[in-house]
Amino acid sequence: MVLGMAATVGGGVIVVALTGTILWRGSAQASPLYATVKGTADTPQGVLPHAFLTIDTYPDSMAGEHGSDGGAHPDWVSYGPSSDLRVPAHALVTVTINQYDGGETITNPYFASVHGTVDGTETVNGKSVTKVDPDAVGHTFTIHAAPTNQDPLFVSVPLPAVPDDTPNAPNSDYPPPNVVTFSFITGGPGDYVWNCEFPCGDGYYAKFGGPMATRGYMSGTLKVS
Amino acid sequence: MSEAMVKLGASPEVDHGGGWMRRLNLGTAIAGGVILGAIGWFFAHHFTDSTDPRVSDQVTLITLACWAIGFMVGIGAFNGPIRWLTGRDQTHADEMFLAGKDQGVSRYFRFTTDHKVVGIQYLVATMLLLGCGGTLAMMIRTQLITPHSTFLGPQTYNSIVGLHGIIMIIATIIMVTGPFGNFILPIMIGARDMAFPRLNALSFWLLAAAIPVLLSAGFMGGIPTGWSGYAPLADQAPPGMDGYLMAIIIFAISSAVAGANITTTVLTMRARGMTWNRTPIFIYGTVASVGLALPALPMFMSAQVLLAVDRTVSGKFYDAAGGGSPWLYQNLFWLFGHPEVYVILVPAVIALMELTPVFARKPLYNFNAAVLGIVGIVGLSVMVWAHHMYASGWAPDLNGPFMLTTEMISVPTGVLFLVVIGTIWRGKIWTTIPMMATYAMLWNFIIGGVTGIYLSDVPADYDLHGSMFVTAHFHYTLMGAGLTGAIGALFYWFPKMTGRMLSHKLGLVSFWMVQIGFNVVFLGMFAVGLAGQPRRVFTYDHMFAVGNFVSSIGAYVIGLGMLVLLYTVISGWRRGPIAPSNPWGGKTLEWAVPNPIPLENFEVLPVVISDAYGYGEGDVSPGHWVEPAEPLEPAHAGAGAPDVETSTVPLQEGRAE
Amino acid sequence: MTITTSMDDASNRARRFVRRRDVRQVFLLWLALTVVLVVFGATVPARLMGAGASPSMHAIKNTMTLFSIAAAPVAAVVWAIALYSLIAWRHRGNTQPESDGPPLRTNKPAAVLWILLSSVLCVFLLIWGLAEMGSVDAAGATSDAMVVDVTGQQWVWTFSYPQEGNIESDQLYLPVDKPVVFHVTSKDVIHSFWVVQLGIKVDANPGETTTTSVVPDRIGVYDVRCAELCGLLHADMETNAHVVSADDFNKWVADNGGQSS
Repeated sequence: MVLGMAATVGGGVIVVALTGTILWRGSAQASPLYATVKGTADTPQGVLPHAFLTIDTYPDSMAGEHGSDGGAHPDWVSYGPSSDLRVPAHALVTVTINQYDGGETITNPYFASVHGTVDGTETVNGKSVTKVDPDAVGHTFTIHAAPTNQDPLFVSVPLPAVPDDTPNAPNSDYPPPNVVTFSFITGGPGDYVWNCEFPCGDGYYAKFGGPMATRGYMSGTLKVS
Repeated sequence: MSEAMVKLGASPEVDHGGGWMRRLNLGTAIAGGVILGAIGWFFAHHFTDSTDPRVSDQVTLITLACWAIGFMVGIGAFNGPIRWLTGRDQTHADEMFLAGKDQGVSRYFRFTTDHKVVGIQYLVATMLLLGCGGTLAMMIRTQLITPHSTFLGPQTYNSIVGLHGIIMIIATIIMVTGPFGNFILPIMIGARDMAFPRLNALSFWLLAAAIPVLLSAGFMGGIPTGWSGYAPLADQAPPGMDGYLMAIIIFAISSAVAGANITTTVLTMRARGMTWNRTPIFIYGTVASVGLALPALPMFMSAQVLLAVDRTVSGKFYDAAGGGSPWLYQNLFWLFGHPEVYVILVPAVIALMELTPVFARKPLYNFNAAVLGIVGIVGLSVMVWAHHMYASGWAPDLNGPFMLTTEMISVPTGVLFLVVIGTIWRGKIWTTIPMMATYAMLWNFIIGGVTGIYLSDVPADYDLHGSMFVTAHFHYTLMGAGLTGAIGALFYWFPKMTGRMLSHKLGLVSFWMVQIGFNVVFLGMFAVGLAGQPRRVFTYDHMFAVGNFVSSIGAYVIGLGMLVLLYTVISGWRRGPIAPSNPWGGKTLEWAVPNPIPLENFEVLPVVISDAYGYGEGDVSPGHWVEPAEPLEPAHAGAGAPDVETSTVPLQEGRAE
Repeated sequence: MTITTSMDDASNRARRFVRRRDVRQVFLLWLALTVVLVVFGATVPARLMGAGASPSMHAIKNTMTLFSIAAAPVAAVVWAIALYSLIAWRHRGNTQPESDGPPLRTNKPAAVLWILLSSVLCVFLLIWGLAEMGSVDAAGATSDAMVVDVTGQQWVWTFSYPQEGNIESDQLYLPVDKPVVFHVTSKDVIHSFWVVQLGIKVDANPGETTTTSVVPDRIGVYDVRCAELCGLLHADMETNAHVVSADDFNKWVADNGGQSS
């Protein structure tokens, strides 16, 4: 009887552990992208280390973290090279986003404005703006999280659309991007999430399905440490 | 060869197509499902527009529907109607074959009409579903053991929560009416089989077809919505949602079939002399539950059909921008959802009510009040659905009336408590596992019921709706009272269903582990819910850390306890001590049949002369049933002539004890 | 010869009933359990819910406490009888008892009394609930209430103040002791706007605007959470509600480019 009991309980535990391992592996994110720290910067909160991060938004998933064949959903829009971003705490983080995708009218004009950056502005192709044309938004990059025992962080920048008829850049599958740069100051260590707040999941209700609702495409994590 | 076969005429029995019909089983069913599913997939791809963003939903639904139809063809569900339509109705030999006569274990893997076989099939299906749902619960609690775990990503977690929910809902709907409503109920009313034996098999195999459809959802992107599948989030969901909604549609058909079968059986096939006053309370509870399911499940089905239309052809039923309303889904869903919890709860509590007199050696207290309580609960339960929608903004003016009807349900529920504690009062309490289940129900259901009263209060619900408090409340009722009742029923009726006794010692170990683990999990959950933790979150604020940690530890204890229960059942089934035909001294008719139970239950159909609760009435009690002087005719043509010699034994006093 | 009426008969039976040993012991057990449960109910739920920040939340906490106290004797009677039965009436041994218990089948007075008491309790809870609902639903819904438009979008809350120059924010700022009405809607799926310590919750539905109102009465920082599963990052759809003094509120409005009304 002891043997049978051990077999049943042990077998059950193994099944549960195996299921857990499979699910854990399935949820794993791509390898993280670390911001590079170069020198310091003068900020309204004093002199802080200056970290730099460059990410891209693509009209498909061939160039992101899903491999050159686009992974399971090659036609989904995606961020790249990784959706798992790591930045240092108490630093000035300057993010550059190369936005390759088209776009249209944003549904919530709130997200056509810049929020949460150091001076409330972003730089689009060299020009400093506080908001973009709400009729030509490609994506947004919005950092937020539950305000739980960590410093709050809310940053949202709109990424203007590349007009649909723009020809591809030479030697590239994509048109020349809109280059957007912005900076924000991180607080203490914490786990945050980011996602695009411009619904671009075509064919889904409210365009918020598909890539919008899948981590690794239009949504990811930002870890401050 | 029995006489019946010779009567058919000069020509000998010819097996019309009995050859291939008798080779159909689970294997051919799966093959049929896969083949037709593949054909459906192929044609769906061919005939749909691949640029349509909804094409994957169209193809998925068509494929799943073809799987289900192919599965049913493969198991032989259509044989009966086809044979009848083509004028070659099933012969007596066919019906005996279908009833599983002389077939051993293989009859459990076929379209067998014997209600005892269907009951065992439902028992195994319930255990399978509980195992799947329980494994997912372990995943959930592992993720929630720390506030910011990276064990599972958010879409995996949300899917697991939703799948755990719907798997457990299906498991708990069938867990008492499936095994015991099928196996025990016909014997308890003195019948040879159900009114519609082929429909009996049909209801089980529809469920079997639906299970892979439901589990496939996990492999098609999962469901982001929780088990309630709210639109419009469900509209946005990946193809896993199609697996969910198709499984619901199939399951609703299965429930309707089973409900019609059980209701007709009880209404028309009770033994002679079994007036409503002499009908055991288990029968009332089962009929009330399936009778409630008959209008309720179709509401769920219709909610999913409209969702399917939205998902495949952009129907806009639930899309406000297209003229639809998200509140439509909620109303349809809760018109099912609230009666459904009583569909789950009533059979379990009533099964405990049926077994408590046996282990207190006292009559059921206030039988009429028990029946009124059941009727009151079931009747009121169709009028309370929008208490799930107090905060939805749908109809704030209706919040008051729904609060009224919801709080009124506490009165018939209280009557059920009166009946149970009245039965216990001054009894001779024999603390077997079934009886301990009654006590556990008394503890758990009070907590579950009282916390339901909190939720029925509209302003309190403004705080508690959508928090873990709600989760803890419904686990206390559906699991603490429901599953506990089912486990008690299992230990009670296992000797009759399998001929063996389950180990009391092992049962004790499992019972205490599950009950203590259960209370630890969900008391901790009440605490974090009151403190403000929302439901269905994969990470949470640090302030909820202690409560969640405690809950997760309790969950592991439940898991281990349920594995001990699994071993108890398996080892009891294989090597348990042989059970006498009436180990508990029960008086209802199922204890009067010998083990192993004859194919058609009774050599001679009994006549009922009194109710089954004559404990303590000594020699004055007439007993529940007698054998008649002359045997009665077979109950129904559908059940076939009894395959036994007719008996001319004179009238005997048959005490069922 | 003594002539007894049926009333005397009933009251004699009742007197004999309460003098029985087991009845008295169950009564004592019931009393003890009631005391324990009342103490529990009077302290634990309110403590777990934390300090409220509006009359609505205070009312909710009072309801939880009151209902817990009212439930105590009910739970106690069931548990007392259950517990006593395991102490005094338990059959020792693991075989069927040789004899049965007493054949008590029906007791109409007990059933009637039980149903009557539970109905009275039910009516009381209902009247309390209706009164409380009236006061909570009306709180803050005065004509001079400040209006805040709440928009839920997967997975961020944004707030806009139409009376303060349409300023927008991801943090909710409210002046203390001023009634405020929220007009809540969603851009996509159903969310639920829940300000925990203020005790308000209403779903955010696409294409519809729902309303809730409250009067915050304590300065502090509180939690705004989404209470309806809305997809991937439902767990992260949270922000803060800052209840501040009127001066601080005006300053915040001005800092954000609006003008105070």
